[in-house]
Amino acid sequence: MIRLACLLVPMFPLAARLRSEPELLSEALAIVEGSGNNAHVVAATRRARKKGIHAGLSLAQSRSIMPKLIARGRDGECERTAQEALLEVAETFSPRIEDGSEGIVFVDISGTERHFPSERDLAAAAIRACDGIGLPARCGIASSKLAARIAAELPQSPTIVPRGGEAEFLAPLPLLRLSPQLDTAATLQRWGLTSIGELAQLPESEVATRLGELGRELHYAARGIDPRPLIPRALPPDFREGMDLEWPLVALDPFLFIANAALDRLAKRLEIQGFACRRLEMTLTLEPDGFDARAIDLPAPTRDVKTMLTLIRLDLEKKAPGAPVTGFSFAAIPDRPRRAQLSLFGPTALSPEKLATTIARLISMLGEERVGMPQTVDGHLPDRYAIGRYDPPPPPDIAHAPRKSRGLVAARIFRPPVPIEVIRREEEFVSIKSEGDINGAVVLASGPWPVEEGWWRDHPHFREYWDVELEKGVYRMYQDEGWFIDARYE
Amino acid sequence: MPAPARYLDTQVNFLRRLPQRPILVPDLPPVEPGEREDVRRLRESLEATVRSKVMSATELIRALGKQRRDELLPTTLEPLDALLGGGLPRGKVVELAGRRSAGRFSIVLAALAAATSAGEAAVLVDLGDHLDPQLAEANGVDLRRLLWIRPEKMKDAVHAVEMIAATGFQLVILDAGLHPIRGRRVAEAAWVRLARTAEAQGTAMLISTPYPMTGTASEIVLSAQRVRPKWLGSGKSPRILAGMSVDVAVTKHRHLKEGRGARLEFVTLEAATGPSPSAGLRMTPGVEAAAR
Repeated sequence: MIRLACLLVPMFPLAARLRSEPELLSEALAIVEGSGNNAHVVAATRRARKKGIHAGLSLAQSRSIMPKLIARGRDGECERTAQEALLEVAETFSPRIEDGSEGIVFVDISGTERHFPSERDLAAAAIRACDGIGLPARCGIASSKLAARIAAELPQSPTIVPRGGEAEFLAPLPLLRLSPQLDTAATLQRWGLTSIGELAQLPESEVATRLGELGRELHYAARGIDPRPLIPRALPPDFREGMDLEWPLVALDPFLFIANAALDRLAKRLEIQGFACRRLEMTLTLEPDGFDARAIDLPAPTRDVKTMLTLIRLDLEKKAPGAPVTGFSFAAIPDRPRRAQLSLFGPTALSPEKLATTIARLISMLGEERVGMPQTVDGHLPDRYAIGRYDPPPPPDIAHAPRKSRGLVAARIFRPPVPIEVIRREEEFVSIKSEGDINGAVVLASGPWPVEEGWWRDHPHFREYWDVELEKGVYRMYQDEGWFIDARYE
Repeated sequence: MPAPARYLDTQVNFLRRLPQRPILVPDLPPVEPGEREDVRRLRESLEATVRSKVMSATELIRALGKQRRDELLPTTLEPLDALLGGGLPRGKVVELAGRRSAGRFSIVLAALAAATSAGEAAVLVDLGDHLDPQLAEANGVDLRRLLWIRPEKMKDAVHAVEMIAATGFQLVILDAGLHPIRGRRVAEAAWVRLARTAEAQGTAMLISTPYPMTGTASEIVLSAQRVRPKWLGSGKSPRILAGMSVDVAVTKHRHLKEGRGARLEFVTLEAATGPSPSAGLRMTPGVEAAAR
């Protein structure tokens, strides 16, 4: 028969907070949840509890009882790290543990008899280990998760429930220990039931007839029957591939050839688990000693080996390791590939995974700043732009007709602007010359259109723009520190 | 006659938010019936009038795919759409050649605005890095749906177009920029490869170049020529660029008569929205668009 230990940290939000701020232990401290008028106490220190502050009181009520009460909000990060620490303690006793969340961990202690003289010694050791990491835990040991949890909730810790003695252990305890639903609890109270044992003595079929499936489950629990198995915590997958080389490599291409095979293996492992690589960490072992570790962020989760290899090539070309390579390892940080529901009647939707891979390949080919979504930028100068991550919204459910174009003249921007020489006669433009093919007599011109930007800076931009028609095109030019053409109307 | 498909909608989109109005199933082209025995038996058991309405999911997808390929992607520039027979054909390459100020970029932006306003994702492979996002937005381009790729060489641009078309974008535009084109001239085989990719994916591909270069790969070749810009104001009064006229002619079309032409009229933002009250302090078109 399986034996389970339950490690439970009472008032977990408070314990997690005190683990981070131990100096508050002797203070009147309350952990509150919610904000404004909805803020209510979820846990309080002994000093605050002595004054009558308990879980459920609003913060305003608590402050009226104790004006100097220290209130702290629930800290998700503190609680997450405290839970992680509790799991780590549990793992020192058995590799099979289940995360019960909120300060509860179940440990399968079957087979630990050789290490501890008795289950009580094991439970005491677990409580000491929890104290060591700043978490005051209680421990209960039983043959089912339910009994172990209820045993751990009792104040006289540790509580050991003998094998097969779950029903006898639960019988004298109040019914509320089974945490029934509110309406079920009210019904049971009307029936005059106060202890778990009294419920267990009722016929199962009669309880099920009156209370339904929930009543049947409650009756099972009252008899100490808990069919829920322990669900062991899965270890985080480690996607790592690499090898030690027989001889040191100096050139890039032979290394990429070997890396290709390793990445291929890595991609297949990711595919089996339904993951894609979001970040690739590469560690190179160098001769005679030392390492070169670097990480490559992929633009989107992908399993495309060619993309990853191109990014590695670019990274190594940008900054060479500086010594021959005698070994390497790749670690993939996994992420879920993007998915989307495609539509039948709307415009064709793009497969997010395919799009992500293509964009990653384009970025590896052209550079990050050359692929993305064009973005407008606040300002007054016309040649401003930004480029962002391309993440288009889903297409509409039903295809609809396009909006009619405004038919505006487009300006073809020249980046960088083309320096020109302007010939003027009595404020009139006569001709324009440049080193390229923008030359000729000015037919018509309009302007100036002054534009000023950054007047608060040491070097503000003040430009005068002109639209000029030459024989071979219509251009936009400006005068700054010299004359430039920055666009052609086209 | 389109028929409401409430039931199909609930079956297909059961994981999605239900639309407010029933989806109208478009008239679908006939496709070869599938080989499933149960569907065949079901059809046989139905009356002839109902039989034609019954379609398996596979047949529906095939019919929708066929219909989508036969569709045209309008540019919403009416004279140009009339010249093209309704718009840019899906699965085909259309080349637009024209020299300085020949309206190529205005046509490119109009096509992008039309596609993105209809909810299609579109790509602009901008070889010369010429796009002004402010002006594109003012022209009606939904920038969220536009992928902007700025290669530096023609070879990279063609490679990018091929990759992106294979992803399933329905409108891919390659703007080759100014004369002379950056990078070496690409082999004709590359254009043929692009045409095949467009055909396979049902992508409408528009190649905007300063001179014809796609050779036999393109379905339609358009030639654009600037007529004259239009100015508001004369003499010593403040003058404003009001617009441009562009002549577009079909120099090659595999199915329609060649040699036809049309005149496109483009207006500047000032002419479209009325002149600024203080012309002397007018901002440039892009700035004004952003300010709005």
